Amino acid sequence: MPRNALLAALAALALTAPAFGEEAAPAAPVVTVNIDKTQLDNGGVINISGTAEPGKPVFLEVWNENKVRGSYFDNKVDKETGQKPNKLYISSDLPAFYRIVLPKSEHEKLAKVKADGKGWSYSAALKETGGDLAYWAPAKTSIASYQTSMSASMSGQRGEQLPALEDKEGRKRSMQIMKSRFRSVDALLVAGVEQKEDGSFTAQVKIPEGAPPGKYLIVATTDKKVRSTPATVENNIAFPMRYMRNAGTSLNIFIPFFVALALATFGVLMGAGGGFVINPVLLMLFPLPHNVVAGTVTPTVLFSQASGVVNYSRIKFISWKVGIAMGLATLAGAFIGPALTDLITLDEFKFIFGWILFFLAALMFWQTTPGYIAKNKKEQAILKEFQKRAEEAALAKT
Amino acid sequence: MYMYVKFWGHEFKINIVVGCIGAFLVAVLSSMFGFGGGPFMVPLMAVVLGLPMYVVVGSSLLAIFFSTMMSTMKHYSLGNFDLDLFLVMFPAALLAGWIGPKIAKRLNPLWVKRVAVIGLTLLGLSLVGVF
Repeated sequence: MPRNALLAALAALALTAPAFGEEAAPAAPVVTVNIDKTQLDNGGVINISGTAEPGKPVFLEVWNENKVRGSYFDNKVDKETGQKPNKLYISSDLPAFYRIVLPKSEHEKLAKVKADGKGWSYSAALKETGGDLAYWAPAKTSIASYQTSMSASMSGQRGEQLPALEDKEGRKRSMQIMKSRFRSVDALLVAGVEQKEDGSFTAQVKIPEGAPPGKYLIVATTDKKVRSTPATVENNIAFPMRYMRNAGTSLNIFIPFFVALALATFGVLMGAGGGFVINPVLLMLFPLPHNVVAGTVTPTVLFSQASGVVNYSRIKFISWKVGIAMGLATLAGAFIGPALTDLITLDEFKFIFGWILFFLAALMFWQTTPGYIAKNKKEQAILKEFQKRAEEAALAKT
Repeated sequence: MYMYVKFWGHEFKINIVVGCIGAFLVAVLSSMFGFGGGPFMVPLMAVVLGLPMYVVVGSSLLAIFFSTMMSTMKHYSLGNFDLDLFLVMFPAALLAGWIGPKIAKRLNPLWVKRVAVIGLTLLGLSLVGVF
């Protein structure tokens, strides 16, 4: 890393400066950082200490060398033009783990940011707390930007590629991508640097279980130009833990296998793929990013559906014409839906559909009660047929 | 327009126009409001169209396969796909599609329906924000 070499040279200069005597310019301010361990076993707590110029608050930047992807879709109305930009920004070299540790005194400001809920702004939070001094590793990430269009987004394309972003714009967009990737304030920002009057400081950083393996770099900063040499610590994981490269998370591979097996079986049994239960369960169990879970469970469920269709068709539990007719109707709806809302999702109205589902579920349950069956001759006939077949199967076994 | 579905020697007359309008609306609304609309297909076929549950499970899977394919493409183009995680879950998905019908065949259709009721209630709870 040429940056390290530069810092080393700066440090060397600072050390040799006194040799020029009292008249020489004051030594360049130096920040140092030390950590108590070099190895971690699937996460752990790192105790950090160091020295800095007295009176200058210290910010720590902690990141993992693994890279992950992230994207940000800008559909906020532009104040100048009054139009939605509908631009998509994608980066594939974001750090898989990233955190800025702020001085402890920034605790209250962080609490305020958290109070903004889901719509919090990372760039505003960094500016507010002074953390943007430390924002360095993701700032230079290469970002591809696209002008999306309705037709492109409906057919699953990114749209027309735009020219490369300028540095300042890139830095701003990188913050938006980071936020949409890591979502929560806690993942990206903590207030934890305790500093004494002489400038020395201590902090604790917790690398959570399931965090990416490999090298973690920790740099202390007091100023845009004053960065310490990075301290490094290696996080180790062992089988059956495995690192999921795009999800940026390590996990025990048997768990998602059995989760998918149990819940997809349940899903196929009830006539759906099972994605609607696999998604929340995976998110409950592991610190995975929401969109990667959705983007990986969807193709998984595609295969449970395909396999379910093949195996149901073998026992004739299927009507091809009904399935295909209604499937095509669904496809038409899915094409038109996004056009109606201009690519926005109205998350806050979801609960209405929850209540519709409760109502439909109640109706379906009513269909299994004796009162309903007594009135429905075909239902009775099918139940009778089922019992007959079950008895025949039992006889055939003995 | 009516469609006739035969199952175990019985004929079910369903209004496919109502079915298609329902499926269309579910797809529009679910893509507008940001939730997976797949499981709505089950009560649509069982309650609104009155198909027997054994036919509903297979046909519903087939119907939602189309939109799952589309959202798979969409997610993929946004780079939301993790190959490692997919490879872990993919064999489980194939196996689930084999075990599910085996259970359905041995399970009383009333119980298949009750399992679906449980599933719909779970999804309902997540949509109203309980978990």
